[in-house]
Amino acid sequence: MSTATALRAGAETEAASLPALLARAEHLAGSVLLGDHGRRRSGMGDDFWQYRPAQPGDSRRMVDHRRSARGDTEFVREREWQIAQSVMFWVDQGASMRFTSNDNLPQKADRARLLGLAAAILLVRGGERVGLTGTALPPRRGNTQILRLAEMFTTDATDDYSPPEHRAMIPSARAVFVSDFMGDVSEVRLALTKAADRGVRGVLLHLLDPSEEAFPFRGRTIFESVGGSLSHETLKASDLRDRYLDRLASRKAELSELCAVTGWQYGLHHTDSTAQSALLWLYRALDTGSIR
Amino acid sequence: MTVLGGIGFTAPWLLMALFALPILWLILRAVPPAPIRRRFPGVALLLGLKDDETVSDRTPWWLLLLRMLAVAAIIIGLAGPVLNPEADAAQGDGPLLIVLDGSWGGATRWSEQAEAVEAQLTRASRAGRTVAFLDMARPEPPVFQAADAWRSRLPGFRPAAWQPDAARAAMAVSFADALGGFDTMWFSDGLDFPGREDVLSAFRNAGAVEIYQTAANVLALTPAGFEDGAVQLTALRAAGGPEREITIQAQGRDPAGNASILASAGAVFAAGETEASTALSLPAELRARITRFDIQGQRSAGATTLADDALRRREVALIAGRESREGLQLLSPLHYIEQALAPNADLIRGAISDVLPANPDVIVLADVATLSPAETEGLGAWIDEGGMLVRFAGPRVAASDISRIDEDPMMPVRLRTGGRTVGGAMSWGQPKTLAPFRESSPFFGLRIPDDVQITSQVMAQPDPTLAERVIAELTDGTPLVTRKTREQGQIVLFHITATADWSTLPLSGLFVQMLERLAVSSSASAPDAAQLDGTTWTPEQVMDGFGTLSDAGNLPGVPGPDLINAPAGPDMQPGIYADGDRRLARNVIGAETTLTPAAWPADIPIRGFAVPPEQPVAGWLLSLSVLLLLADVVASLALSGRLLGRVNTAAAVVLALLLMPTGPGSAQTADADAEADAFALNATAELALAWVRTGDARVDELSQAGLTGLSQTLYFRTSVEPAEPVGVDLEMDELAFFPILYWPVTPDQPRPSAEAYAKLNAYLRSGGLILFDTRDADISRFGGSSPNGRKLQDLAAALDIPPLEPLPTDHVLTRTFYLLQDFPGRHTSREVWVEAAPPDAEQIEGMPFRNLNDGVTPVVIGGNDWAAAWAITQNGAPMVPVGRGFTGERQRELAYRFGVNLIMHVLTGNYKSDQVHVPALLDRLGQ
Repeated sequence: MSTATALRAGAETEAASLPALLARAEHLAGSVLLGDHGRRRSGMGDDFWQYRPAQPGDSRRMVDHRRSARGDTEFVREREWQIAQSVMFWVDQGASMRFTSNDNLPQKADRARLLGLAAAILLVRGGERVGLTGTALPPRRGNTQILRLAEMFTTDATDDYSPPEHRAMIPSARAVFVSDFMGDVSEVRLALTKAADRGVRGVLLHLLDPSEEAFPFRGRTIFESVGGSLSHETLKASDLRDRYLDRLASRKAELSELCAVTGWQYGLHHTDSTAQSALLWLYRALDTGSIR
Repeated sequence: MTVLGGIGFTAPWLLMALFALPILWLILRAVPPAPIRRRFPGVALLLGLKDDETVSDRTPWWLLLLRMLAVAAIIIGLAGPVLNPEADAAQGDGPLLIVLDGSWGGATRWSEQAEAVEAQLTRASRAGRTVAFLDMARPEPPVFQAADAWRSRLPGFRPAAWQPDAARAAMAVSFADALGGFDTMWFSDGLDFPGREDVLSAFRNAGAVEIYQTAANVLALTPAGFEDGAVQLTALRAAGGPEREITIQAQGRDPAGNASILASAGAVFAAGETEASTALSLPAELRARITRFDIQGQRSAGATTLADDALRRREVALIAGRESREGLQLLSPLHYIEQALAPNADLIRGAISDVLPANPDVIVLADVATLSPAETEGLGAWIDEGGMLVRFAGPRVAASDISRIDEDPMMPVRLRTGGRTVGGAMSWGQPKTLAPFRESSPFFGLRIPDDVQITSQVMAQPDPTLAERVIAELTDGTPLVTRKTREQGQIVLFHITATADWSTLPLSGLFVQMLERLAVSSSASAPDAAQLDGTTWTPEQVMDGFGTLSDAGNLPGVPGPDLINAPAGPDMQPGIYADGDRRLARNVIGAETTLTPAAWPADIPIRGFAVPPEQPVAGWLLSLSVLLLLADVVASLALSGRLLGRVNTAAAVVLALLLMPTGPGSAQTADADAEADAFALNATAELALAWVRTGDARVDELSQAGLTGLSQTLYFRTSVEPAEPVGVDLEMDELAFFPILYWPVTPDQPRPSAEAYAKLNAYLRSGGLILFDTRDADISRFGGSSPNGRKLQDLAAALDIPPLEPLPTDHVLTRTFYLLQDFPGRHTSREVWVEAAPPDAEQIEGMPFRNLNDGVTPVVIGGNDWAAAWAITQNGAPMVPVGRGFTGERQRELAYRFGVNLIMHVLTGNYKSDQVHVPALLDRLGQ
């Protein structure tokens, strides 16, 4: 999962099993740049726009067989883009995500990138524009954007707990935040309130390793963060368990409450459950979550 | 050495270190275990959390206990603990005399005794005592040496096959008197012997005496006798006791020449009795092979009795010149000799040519003058191989010209014409009597009764060799019995008749004794000393105390009477003795022997051998501590959580290493066995047709499909209901399960190995049938040089195939189920070859076919590619086109019919060849 191509292949596999995701377009006026027949380019809509040759990455169900049967080339029928929405992703690249408690489980970072990219692919199939929060990769459409996203996702950050990027949010867009949210919660609060100010709604996917939920430690232990910046020594790790779990529960509660206030959706996912379930949840959250 | 609670310690002060254990306990409890470093993103949530207690996780009490135990084991192990330390009893520091009875009585428990002696030597060596040994069976002046020096010589002491006697006891007394003060340990066999008390008192004068004696009873076996047609065996025991059952074994060589137990019999000592008898009834052949009897579980010369001629009954063939069955019995030339031999020899009657194949030990010719050349030749060969020919003279011999001019090869001497008669009414002299036997005679020592008189005899011609051939003569010096050796055998001539006509010798006991001396017969009872007077016996094999026979080497011979009377000793060792052809066993136990248990004064301590040896346990304790420390390592890792995750791989590696040498191999063989079993079960649960795997995928597929098609056809049309066809690998699979093998020939299939050919030939001989199909009848004729044909010749060269012929029109294959004359497959060649009919088979007039009632042809060879014609797919459609249109379908149908006929032929044999079916067949053939 370290290279961009491998990440994209995995994401395509995950995305192939879901129907194209049509994000709800709230506040049509704000997000849609042009109305019906205005865009003069392919995208979501009811009207035919063009047949284009199928490219690698197009799923079989996109092939228009009526057109393709006339010749040897497979064609994809594209419709004119009528409504589009921008979805911005923030996937935590911090060192704390590069952790797994068991060789059989993926790292949290791997799972987060996979889910983020799979959601992005689904959105692109649905004609939406996807990008990153901040200024690094503004939302665009098309397969090239998926490649760019994949590339951006594979860059690791060095600091332990990276704060959510909340600059340059496009008003009335959608956002997807994937992280373990172990860092300072005030950063999250800042990002969410800022997003709420701009009318950005989205999904907060809380990704945790099973050992972070269970805290199966005993004895004299020195706990270190993955990056090594934080450490905590205890003589009796088992005694800490209850209090740690309390803190984790309160963190979850805090995030959940924050989401409720700002109109976001909060989801919890563990790396030992399947990526499919998380993607399904993400799909439904983006699809229906923001109906008012 | 300090003894604490039954355990001795070589360094007891080290035990003081045990007091340090509680301190160690406290220290170990105080020191916390080393921390583990863990990566954990959730540490951000932990920041600021304080430990409730300042004390770390304590090492659990059981882990501490484990460590304490390990340390304690080390301390105690280093203190040198010794189990069963020898209690220093009333033994002084002075010289020690170890006395061994050294007789056969202790042989069974010799190793225990040796261990006990060694334990005493060890002890003496520790005490620094000097030790001397005195073997009562072979007394020699004792020499005091360091105990360690004796230990290496201990294995050199072996039990003797005799017991100490008075003379040896006296020697021991003199040695004891000469030595002065010493302590004595007497390892007794438990048997009394003359002079034992004297020896004991001599030892007691010199110092303390301890007796070591096993509680086990001494068992012995008296010589076997032969009575009432059974071998009589008597076992003895030294002391009466509870009822006890023993098993007496007859050892000998089986017909293959291997030593084995030929028979065994149980005997029971009644409670309090010291004798147990049993009888063993055995066929003469078996009895003659017995070399010894012994008591199961006993390993001593006393419990072994050797078998000799007494058990061996010789086979004697009696042949008279004139067999008058109607005649009076008392006048039969063989009557007296029969009477003399019948009690202890097996007699054979018949013509010479008939008895020679029985290979008797002795052939007696009574008044037989001339022998046919064939008889002479046969007898000569038999004598050369060790036979003994005993001839008696008589009127016919006297009247014949045998051995007159030249010495007859079947006669020891030349004879003068006529005989002589003395003491008759018309004669000039008195009847003659026997002269005393000369020393060189085998009869030397026999007492000659006064009433033996010779009235007539045949006379020996004086010859240079005569003197040495005479073994008995009359008082006037005329030879009466002459003997000559010939190769390994000998020829003996009694110059008188075997009846009482010419002499009274056959009426006397001397006659029987003479026959015994000549080993014509063997005595049923043990000979007494008088009978052995004047003989010298050389030992062939002698027995040691364990009852094991070994070569006698160059031991001197012993006089006959001594063999019976003299007690066993170094000069009269028990074993097998031989005098000429006679063999006599000298056993340790005589018929009159009784066993007397040794009785010791009450004030002398008697101990058993079973002294538990000292056992240093330091090594065990140190090993235990290492094990405990290892357990501690595992437990510590497990406690600190570091074992998880790693222990799995580590355990897997360890397990793999442990299992490596045996695991895969045994698993493979088990797999192979299970596979073979499954194959056999599969093949035998139902009838299955089989085909030979050629390695060519297409051919194999067609074979399988073809036989499937044939199986289905059989299923639908006949009562043969085969299961799925089976492809067999000639190298691996067992063929015996299949009635028929379909063997398609491809040019490049491998030649089966020699083992596979052996299997195939066995298959063919046991009624299997192989259908060879060269599959090339469209391009080649049988025997042509097509690649497949050449391959077939190559394949079949090593097979056991009878002469072949093209399938004749009256072959049973043409009518086993369908009436057929063509045997097409995918091709329609008519050339199908089967085993040729016997040349004498002829067609009877009016019969449609020859009478060929024998067997199933082992091979059918053709090239019609039958499997292709039979082959069907999964859904029943033919796989390969055959012919064109309807004729093609007809051809396929005929191919199926041939297949049905073939399977019917295999399964029912020549049933349809039976003439019983002729009327029905004639009817159907329309004739």
